Amino acid sequence: MSAATETSEPIAPPRPGILARLLREPAAAVSLILVVLIIAAAVLAPVLAPTDPYDNDLSLAMQPPGSPGLPLGADAQGRDMVTRLLYGLRVSLLMGFAAVALGGSLGALLGFLAAFYHRWLDGPIMRLVDILLSFPAILVGLAIAAIFGPGIFSVVLALSVATVPLMARIVRGSAMVVMRLDFIEAARATGMTDARLIWRHLAPNCLSSIFVFATLRFGQVILLGSALSFLGLGAQPPTPELGAMASEGRNFLFFAPHIAVVPCIVIFIVVLAFNVLGDALRDALDPRLRV
Amino acid sequence: MNAPLLEVTDLAKHYPVRKGLILARQVGTVRAVDGVSFTLNRGETLALVGESGCGKSTTARLVLRLIEPSAGSLRFDGRDITGISGSALRAMRRRMQIVFQDPYASLNPRLTVAETIAEPMQVHGIGDAASRRARVAELLGLVGLRAFHAERYPHEFSGGQRQRIGIARALSVQPDLVVCDEPVSALDVSIQAQVVNLLKDLQRRFGLAYLFIAHDLAVVKHVADRVAVMYLGSIVETASKRDLFATPRHPYTRALLAAIPHPDPTRRGRVKPLGGDVPSPMNVPPGCRFHTRCPFAQDRCRKEEPVLRQLADGHAAACHVAESLPPAGLDFSGGLAPAAAMRLALYARARDAAA
Repeated sequence: MSAATETSEPIAPPRPGILARLLREPAAAVSLILVVLIIAAAVLAPVLAPTDPYDNDLSLAMQPPGSPGLPLGADAQGRDMVTRLLYGLRVSLLMGFAAVALGGSLGALLGFLAAFYHRWLDGPIMRLVDILLSFPAILVGLAIAAIFGPGIFSVVLALSVATVPLMARIVRGSAMVVMRLDFIEAARATGMTDARLIWRHLAPNCLSSIFVFATLRFGQVILLGSALSFLGLGAQPPTPELGAMASEGRNFLFFAPHIAVVPCIVIFIVVLAFNVLGDALRDALDPRLRV
Repeated sequence: MNAPLLEVTDLAKHYPVRKGLILARQVGTVRAVDGVSFTLNRGETLALVGESGCGKSTTARLVLRLIEPSAGSLRFDGRDITGISGSALRAMRRRMQIVFQDPYASLNPRLTVAETIAEPMQVHGIGDAASRRARVAELLGLVGLRAFHAERYPHEFSGGQRQRIGIARALSVQPDLVVCDEPVSALDVSIQAQVVNLLKDLQRRFGLAYLFIAHDLAVVKHVADRVAVMYLGSIVETASKRDLFATPRHPYTRALLAAIPHPDPTRRGRVKPLGGDVPSPMNVPPGCRFHTRCPFAQDRCRKEEPVLRQLADGHAAACHVAESLPPAGLDFSGGLAPAAAMRLALYARARDAAA
């Protein structure tokens, strides 16, 4: 190294972007590809699906996977499983995203407010949360279905309501820990508004717990949504929905197990992929874990 | 211009202690800060010293209006800031900043150094993005870091470097007053000296006033112009640094000074450590709050609370018997006993001769 390069300002090595850091982990890369494929399949269902999801041909009922023209077989009504799954994925993903996004953001907001205005809002908000927690999701679903009528909208609303208190509790807990740190006081001492303080200093430092819970909850919501559909509160037959498909198939478990098993496998893959991706994303977004 | 920058009068912070689940009744009061008054001039360093839990940090936060005082008033640059709120308070915050004790907790781990240092400027609408970037580089240079550090995150720095970042953040809005809440006590000794010298250097350049909270008297001796000694939520003695270390007038100050580790083995046995514990701030003793531990306590001290009174020019102590105390009997100025000094001089000469 010459003297000239020594005196010049050293240049910081370029930092890898979020995507690069995400792809470094093989499991994360696989889950990212899976999630992209899943979303693409759901979005492109009308293009990809070989038939119409409501077309039935009773002569093909319960055909096993691998039958000619039916790679995953047909259900009890003789509808193509591949088509049904693609459309079902749409409904299930939409349900999961909408409920987690809606309930999660409202819950996170309540959690931040409870922790930040601890003195005034913690009591009222957390008691409200306790009340919400005391209702089982199924009961909330029943009540909402009674008001709005059964359907996807009711399911999303019920699952959002069921997600709010859980997210609020988790966010409040981690926000209270962050609130005790000096940099919050330093931020206050600079004279910034409360909104800026929450958005820039409090919220980013609670991101890990939000991410972990949101991805976990996404899986739970899909399963809960299926349960509500099974009770007849959610997606109404013949609307394809993964949970509803699995519960329909349960009557034929001994004669045609694929009708129930295949949707379950799809649910399993979706939930797993989103969980792994959520974990990896949390790590990639944390500057402390950057190399 | 001769008016003090900061004037604190009878400042108090009392925390009610409640008991009971539904009908909470107040069972006591923690008197964390109990009637503190002092002034601070521009460009001056006032050190606030005392044991853990004596209310130093609470006083600092009260001064910055980070917590609300129970009583008393604050004047900053001739203006009463005790009751201001909202945008007036936010605007006032630009002129007083804080440097924290723990350099690991005082920086947001999710923001880069540049974002951390530029944020106060952004909040107060100072400059545009480009000028702020230039100012960040300038500030980093001022505190002894390099411009390329701007894009890094706090976890990539050592404790001393982080403390420098905290100082740069405080200076970014060109404040008049910086409250230093034990800024070096979390750093190891070699780094302490660097940070203390940096603070002194910055004070000279920008005419900053420091309210310097500390429990390490060696540091205080190095940085302070004046010293205020706190005990159990109130100030027991204030004096210029020289007077305080040469002629402490309050028995508590004497005990504090006597507790400084001293490189003189002949002192061993001559220093009597203070007995007992600090009383709980929930149960402040009547009369002089120090009488429970004071070797000179008399009947009067148990009944009558002494006020902080002037004993000499700029030297005040809250003690009934300050005038009649026996001579301190110890040299607190950090000097050595004559015999020890001679021996050290002998070593030094021998080393010089050998070299």
